[in-house]
Amino acid sequence: MTVTETPPARQPHTVGAPILEARGVTMRFGGLTAVKDVDMTVNEGEIVGLIGPNGAGKTTFFNCLTGLYKPTEGQVTLSGQVIPPKPRAVVIAGMARTFQNIRLFANMTALENVMVGRYCRTSSLALTSILRGPKFRREEEATRARAQELLDFVGLGDSAESLARNMPYGDQRRLEIARALATDPKLILLDEPTAGMNPQETKQASDLIFRIRDSGLAVVVIEHDMRFIFNLCDRVLCLVRGEVLVQGTPGEVQSDPRVIEAYIGGDDDDDDDDVVAGGATEVRTPPADTVTDPTEEKQ
Amino acid sequence: MSTSTADLAHDHSHDDELVKVSLLDRMPGRGSSAAWPLGLAGVALLVAGTFLSWSYTGDVLGDLSINFYPGGVQICMIALGLVALLFLLAHRGPLHRLGEWLDTAGAVRALGLGAVIYMVIVVAVISVQSGGLINVNPGGWISLLGALVLAASGLMLVSRQHRDPLFAKTSSWLEILTIIVLMALLLFGAAYALGIGDGPSFSLFLIFVATVALGLTRAGVFTWVGLIAQKNRPVLMLGAFTVAFLFPFTQGGSDENMSIATQVLIFAATALGLNIVVGLAGLLDLGYIAFLGAGAYVGATLSTSAFATIGWKPPFIIVVVVGALFSACLGLIIGSPTLRVSGDYLAIVTLAFGEIFRFTMGNLDGNNGPDLTNGPNGIPAIPDLAIGSFDFGQPHTILGITLGRFANYYFLLLVLAAFIILVFSRLNDSRIGRGWVAIREDEKAAEAMGVNVFGLKLFAFAGGAFLAGMAGTVKAHHDVSVTPDQYIFLESAFLLAAIVLGGMGTVAGVLVGATILKLLPEKLRFIADYRLMIFGLVLVLMMRYRPEGIIASQRRKLEFHEEDEGLAERLEEVHLEEAEAKA
Amino acid sequence: MTEFLQQIVNGLTLGSLYALIAVGYTVVYGIVQLINFAHGEVFMIGAFGALATWSVLFKGQTGLWVLPIMVIGAVIVSVVTAVVMERIAYRPLRNAPRLAPLITAIGISVFLQEAVRLFYPGAKSKLSFPEIDVVTGAALKIGGLNIQRAAVFTVGSLLLSAVLLWFFVNRTRMGQGMQAVSEDPDTAQLMGINVNRIIVIAFALGAALAAVGGVAQGLLNSNIDFRMGFLAGLKAFTAAVLGGIGNIQGAIVGGLTLGIAESMATQFIPGQFGGSAWKDVWAFVLLILVLVFRPQGLLGARVVDRA
Repeated sequence: MTVTETPPARQPHTVGAPILEARGVTMRFGGLTAVKDVDMTVNEGEIVGLIGPNGAGKTTFFNCLTGLYKPTEGQVTLSGQVIPPKPRAVVIAGMARTFQNIRLFANMTALENVMVGRYCRTSSLALTSILRGPKFRREEEATRARAQELLDFVGLGDSAESLARNMPYGDQRRLEIARALATDPKLILLDEPTAGMNPQETKQASDLIFRIRDSGLAVVVIEHDMRFIFNLCDRVLCLVRGEVLVQGTPGEVQSDPRVIEAYIGGDDDDDDDDVVAGGATEVRTPPADTVTDPTEEKQ
Repeated sequence: MSTSTADLAHDHSHDDELVKVSLLDRMPGRGSSAAWPLGLAGVALLVAGTFLSWSYTGDVLGDLSINFYPGGVQICMIALGLVALLFLLAHRGPLHRLGEWLDTAGAVRALGLGAVIYMVIVVAVISVQSGGLINVNPGGWISLLGALVLAASGLMLVSRQHRDPLFAKTSSWLEILTIIVLMALLLFGAAYALGIGDGPSFSLFLIFVATVALGLTRAGVFTWVGLIAQKNRPVLMLGAFTVAFLFPFTQGGSDENMSIATQVLIFAATALGLNIVVGLAGLLDLGYIAFLGAGAYVGATLSTSAFATIGWKPPFIIVVVVGALFSACLGLIIGSPTLRVSGDYLAIVTLAFGEIFRFTMGNLDGNNGPDLTNGPNGIPAIPDLAIGSFDFGQPHTILGITLGRFANYYFLLLVLAAFIILVFSRLNDSRIGRGWVAIREDEKAAEAMGVNVFGLKLFAFAGGAFLAGMAGTVKAHHDVSVTPDQYIFLESAFLLAAIVLGGMGTVAGVLVGATILKLLPEKLRFIADYRLMIFGLVLVLMMRYRPEGIIASQRRKLEFHEEDEGLAERLEEVHLEEAEAKA
Repeated sequence: MTEFLQQIVNGLTLGSLYALIAVGYTVVYGIVQLINFAHGEVFMIGAFGALATWSVLFKGQTGLWVLPIMVIGAVIVSVVTAVVMERIAYRPLRNAPRLAPLITAIGISVFLQEAVRLFYPGAKSKLSFPEIDVVTGAALKIGGLNIQRAAVFTVGSLLLSAVLLWFFVNRTRMGQGMQAVSEDPDTAQLMGINVNRIIVIAFALGAALAAVGGVAQGLLNSNIDFRMGFLAGLKAFTAAVLGGIGNIQGAIVGGLTLGIAESMATQFIPGQFGGSAWKDVWAFVLLILVLVFRPQGLLGARVVDRA
């Protein structure tokens, strides 16, 4: 398994105004502080990585951003608006996510999955659906066309009629991204998009993320695969024990001795962190060193 | 049905058809050389027997005592014999090209075994009802022998490899013709079955229908029929409604069967409304009968019955709207806990609401509360509907055929049922329907994708309640009186059973389920006392062996068989085929 | 004041009955996360089992010594019903979607009611339950309070059952196995506990207590009928949820609370909406309120997330 050390050639892009701003986000569960006073800014057209050892509070922080948890302290604003801590409101405000353990609608086709993503951007209500006027037909047609377009975009154009549960693992991950894109987000949050992928699939995934960025979206990625993150991101945050340890360009973070220590030297502390994670996060994050193993988590 | 054969067929399904047929045909399996002629002999005996007298006395199972004049019970066997002959000739002989698509051996097997059961019951009924086996005439024995021979032949025939009928290319006129023929058979069969007076004959007819249906299913005919039904949906719907519309004209003015038919329709319409809640939104509602009751109570209190407690007497169309809206409001109230409660707890909450409704209606009699409902006695003497100058209580004559009181209600209910079906299928195939499926599949993910989970659940409750409320207002006039004990929990369980039995999330399934649950107890009086017990048993067995129901929605089938990958792949093929057909 | 105490006594009687049934819901739920909706029918069958035992063996006898044998008869019939039900109907559905066992439960419930109605001689209408010396007859009067003799039996059975249950769960290997399975079935299985057997025992345990409840109900009302399981079952379920489903002490606390609440509501809700005509309505209102606002119950459910 060899991954090229040199960053791939990037298309020029412009980094614009801040979209997402998290200020002093703190999340406590009883006596445990899973996330402590985290600041994060994501600008337009930027890919931001979030790394950290197990139990560092990455997923908890993610859940604070996406409205699954209401932060104990601090606030999150999207395009200057404070977002209410409701997953649906967050989506409507323009932030979509994927899940660490794939959560597709297994018995729907790929196309239908993406069409569900269009739900919050369409408005046909009961009466229009029953009467089937021209507006309904137009909207339905547009939904279908947009969904197909997104499937094409992620490279699943030919699998539109496949049931999600029958699709290969890598395709399911891409389908989840397409479904998230269907909500017309300004910012997309990817929770371990390459978990369980082989190097080739990982390469495709980073290409896809670049293309998403180039289409004008901001991207936040949680990942364990350091090389993937450092090749991909414009900026990286390293979270350790719920706090931002280092923040900067991939080069800066990569060479910071504290990051290396947190990952390699922190074995003893890892167990403690796991306890925190067990209480605080919904899902166990797989150990960092096994994530790139393609057999891991294959379903 | 094996996926391996389906795959095999899939590989060369679009190649030319002729080459492989003869190859397959020249490879007779073990024992099949004798089986085929044996089958023909069986059919000959079976049919020959029907032209002879079966019974010494003429008062059993209609009249089976006259030679060369077969009675209804015998005609069924002729029909079964002809179907079996068709499959035999498709197995080997002039129709072998057709046989290439069908599991002919399986069909003959099913038909043969069904015929044996049928004939054994015939012989048993004759000997029981007229005192001894001595009363069975030679014709009966010949037919029984024929059935046994046919069954033996079926067991000996070896199933050949056949292509999946899914990939059969048929011209559209053939498809439409098939649908029309099936619909005509349905009308004829329904009219005939309802005309049968005695229980044993009716049961025999059911066995006959079940046998033929099983035979056709085994052969794979219904796979194909299902596909063409999908492709020609408008024709199918039109055909079904024509049949339903024509049905009262086959009854010769008799109200007896029309009364059953209207009950089936009220029940089916309500069950279709419940299917929106259960089948589409995936929420278990065990108190649904309360919505029908709410509509009925509104219909009764706003009627001109002398016992109605409210002075306002608006025209019926307004009553329908008021009843539906009142019911929908209750639906919103009952649905509101879905914000916090789901799964089993939600089911119990709805059950409790249903019981509260019943108790409340029983209590509002002036002593224990305001006088609204007359308490346990309910509101009797609700007059018949009159819309304009059309009085639903009076018989009317159309084209020389008299249509009685129940036929009038039947047409009204048919319109209502059509409306509910329209609402159901259009909602299902829309943004809202997709949202419901997403909620059923993974509620958290749906929420995170921006689906308004609570709103959609609430809408399912309110919408379902609205439709049931409409049906309730008609029911009040149809039933003449409204009492609380018409709306007990068991009725909700019945509605749910119609859905479970027929197939969750499908219109056809619910119609079949409703018909079975309402019609059978009416016709099979001799099991009337056991019907509830059988009902309970059937529920348990269905959940054990076929939880998706008789006519299952494909997605529901998958949900109940999560682990079955083969099924998933096969259904995907069907899906692709349909998508292709649409394009 | 006497009125108040009298309602407490009535409430405790009713509550003990609910508690006896509620334990069955809670034990089964704690282990397989299944609402055994047909449990009310097990209670009803217990009452009929007791009656059958009496009719066959001791017809005409009224001695107190008959009562234990009636209880044993009731327990046997109920336990057999519950175990067969688990084996035939529920076990095959253990990994099915949650809708399936619930519908199965409704089916079993209807089936059992009808089976009793059709095949128990005379069960199409109410059957009178035998009078037994000491536990039935003229009510005891203590300081102005009327205490039915059967009420003493009911509360006494609950106390005795609670002690035995506590002993079983905490002091026997099987009871500890049960606790282990309810904590974590997979690990328990790996540790060599026969999970299937534990589940059967949970069903049997609940059925035994429900059977005792059935006898108590027969003595209290002096008649039984095939429909008695439905309402009693629902209320007992309410009690189980009220106490925190999956939690055995909770079932007992919940049962007593519900019983007292129901008595109080009957007596003290003023105006037209009070009185016995509305008592079931108030019980159901309480059920809904509990399910909606405190699904984890008073003492906390063992499994909060499942419902």
